[in-house]
Amino acid sequence: MADFVERQNLLEDDESSPAERRSASGDDRPMSAICDPSRLPHRAVVLVFMCFLGFGSYFCYDNPAALQTQVIQDLNLNTAKFMQLYAWYSWPNVVLCFFGGFLLDRVFGIRLGTIIFSLFVCVGQVIFAAGAWYDLFWLMELGRFVFGIGGESLAVAQNTYAVNWFKGKELNLVFGLQLSMARLGSTVNMNIMGWVYNKVAVVVGSPGPTTLGASLMIAAVTCLFSLVCALVLGFLDKRAERILHKEEGKTGEVIKLTDVKDFPLTLWLVFIICVGYYVAIFPFIGLGQVFFIEKFNFSPAEARAVNSIVYIISAPASPVLGFVVDKTGRNVVWVMMAVVATLAAHMMLAFTFWNPWIAMSLLGVSYSLLACALWPMVAFMVPEHQLGTAYGFMQSIQNLGLALIAMAAGAILDSRGYLVLEVFFCACICSQYFYLSFLLVF
Amino acid sequence: MAAAGTMIGNRVFVVLLILRLSFCPCLVGGTNEYKRQLTLQLNPNSTSVPPGGDLLHVRAVGDNDTLHFLWCSQGAPTLLIVHTNTSNSLVQVNWTQFLSRNVSGGLSVEPQSSIQYSIAVVFSRLLEYDDANDTAMPDSDFFPPYELQNLNWNRLELFDAKARLCGETPEFGNGSLCLTLSVFDSDGRAESWPRLLHSANSSQLEVWLHGIMPRSANSRFLLEMQAVGGDFPLSRVDVRQFIDDEFTPSIFKVSQWVSPVKGGSDVSGYVQWKPVAYRQSNPALEDATPCRYSDPQTQDGNATAASSALIQAFFSQPNITGLNVSFGLAGEPFYNSTRFLSWTMLVGVGAPPVDTFSPIVLAIMAVGLGTPMILLLVGGALVCLHKRRHGSPATYQPIN
Repeated sequence: MADFVERQNLLEDDESSPAERRSASGDDRPMSAICDPSRLPHRAVVLVFMCFLGFGSYFCYDNPAALQTQVIQDLNLNTAKFMQLYAWYSWPNVVLCFFGGFLLDRVFGIRLGTIIFSLFVCVGQVIFAAGAWYDLFWLMELGRFVFGIGGESLAVAQNTYAVNWFKGKELNLVFGLQLSMARLGSTVNMNIMGWVYNKVAVVVGSPGPTTLGASLMIAAVTCLFSLVCALVLGFLDKRAERILHKEEGKTGEVIKLTDVKDFPLTLWLVFIICVGYYVAIFPFIGLGQVFFIEKFNFSPAEARAVNSIVYIISAPASPVLGFVVDKTGRNVVWVMMAVVATLAAHMMLAFTFWNPWIAMSLLGVSYSLLACALWPMVAFMVPEHQLGTAYGFMQSIQNLGLALIAMAAGAILDSRGYLVLEVFFCACICSQYFYLSFLLVF
Repeated sequence: MAAAGTMIGNRVFVVLLILRLSFCPCLVGGTNEYKRQLTLQLNPNSTSVPPGGDLLHVRAVGDNDTLHFLWCSQGAPTLLIVHTNTSNSLVQVNWTQFLSRNVSGGLSVEPQSSIQYSIAVVFSRLLEYDDANDTAMPDSDFFPPYELQNLNWNRLELFDAKARLCGETPEFGNGSLCLTLSVFDSDGRAESWPRLLHSANSSQLEVWLHGIMPRSANSRFLLEMQAVGGDFPLSRVDVRQFIDDEFTPSIFKVSQWVSPVKGGSDVSGYVQWKPVAYRQSNPALEDATPCRYSDPQTQDGNATAASSALIQAFFSQPNITGLNVSFGLAGEPFYNSTRFLSWTMLVGVGAPPVDTFSPIVLAIMAVGLGTPMILLLVGGALVCLHKRRHGSPATYQPIN
């Protein structure tokens, strides 16, 4: 999703930077490097805030997975209801992915928009925690819904800020860093929330909805932190606009729904491959902790660690693999390899008792590989003015698939257990071969 | 072109599927397809209802052997299985001797020479401890144990192909400890979790702790069982891991308390269970609670014979081993949360049944993993054909 914005703005690269420099030098007030928006030290400071903008939302997205046993036990849920917490995050994004760019460009502007979406993330997490505290499941679902409204659009805003401040050769590095920070948020969440819960349980006295609610409130502090970053970014951006006389950043997205009829068949295949792949990754990570505890006799802390290895690996692997894919081209072959590797990982987890660290590391590498190879393919298939619509569609379908499959995964697990669930994921991945072979032929 | 490829692909796939299924009967089959004729007798040859407990005799006749299942509530509940190599063996009960409970020989299987193997399981005690620190370590804070021979056992209820025995005592409050025996005539799988796979050579015992008043809010229970293995005592517990948790979701292990033949790998009798107990009578996945067992230890034969009329009557010098099964781990809810626990085990002769995949899972696996192989082969062949027919285009075409 980030890449199309990058390509668009790289084309405008040569025109805008001289203009920037002209306006900066036209202003005679001397400023220290760290306060001058056109100099690197200040932009590095802005980069730090930009990276932490998404930290809170990624940290809180996987809170249910990190506390799976506690959520299920304290609130007396079954796995199907537990997965609803993920489904409700995805539902608003089925529609919002189309309108996120539009809202940021035309309605709110990037600065106000970022703050609003950060607020949604914060408020959503607080409602979620309150629902856990008072043992009201419908309130938790509402909290995840509100959280979802803010979460994905915040990513769009983050990318827009990045493009606005870091055009040119630095942009890849910035995107890579933002992605790594996002993954860092998920990893920290997986490994810390269990410990937080245990500490809170000691203070409260016993595990229960109150303990769960309190732990989730503590997690909401990261969202508050992200909100502060959003406010600071808004201030710095406004200040830079005033000093450098440049325009407020735009996402560059133009969403026209009528473009859909022009999409080639190969693009629809890419959409389907995207959905079919991600539904075998995210719901699995959501349910992974108990699987590792039961089948491989891991302790809860170990199980959370191995669950988070996918994110830990994708943080450094994404820029490296992106570079490799850029150099060699042949995206379809790389996607094929990623699919094969993911299938191998799932089969290892389902049919053997081999150390799951191996399978999960393989899963992490293939997940990064697919992200680097699949998303840019869209840019090769549609003309530039339709790119926004295409990516919006892709996100939207992905969220729809995730919402549905998350619920299905929970239901399958409740009735038939882990092997059938893994076989189901393997079948999803195997269906990718089918579509990929068509892509290769065409 | 793609459609033709798919049709050929489908035909090849069907052939492969048939080949694969026919070469792997071990996966689709489970235990031997063996049927027995079952006849039930309650208190055989008894002129009146025996006081203190019932004796149920189920005769499972096969082609040329018989299994006698004896389920007795005189004293501690006991299940005895005797395997004979003739289809004409009978059980003789001398009720005076049997009820006196001080000599052996009150129950015998005739002809005695036809007895191949016998295995008995006695439920001797129900132990309760106060897990104040939630560590699930049953080594201290035990309340006085419930001796199951001293419970007031109701009459055996016979329904479907099952026999239920419920015992009460004032300390339980309104609750009871129920043991349900099911005997089978062929292979199959129980309907309720843990859905153990049984054969015609096994019987299933379900233990229910129903509504018992716990003596502390943090109580956990242990069930003590003692087993007699005829010539070969049940000396070790094997734990087997397998990848399929289809029938007992999230449980990947099975424990087998076996009587090995002369220390080898063959076993002549077994007690099999999955290490899970359920906290509701219609359980969902979240109601599963793990259970552990202690190592089998030799016990005093005289004390066991004194507690169980059936052991006293059938065995003259029994070799007894016993173990505890404890319910719940640290962090799991206590008994008080639902006041219900159910645990199931299989007792049988021969080798324990081995769990298998269900046909649905096999079908999905064959389709899901076989189809891409086919497609890759077919697709690769088609691409090669396509290239050979059209040749590789030159990079530069002449302009004129």
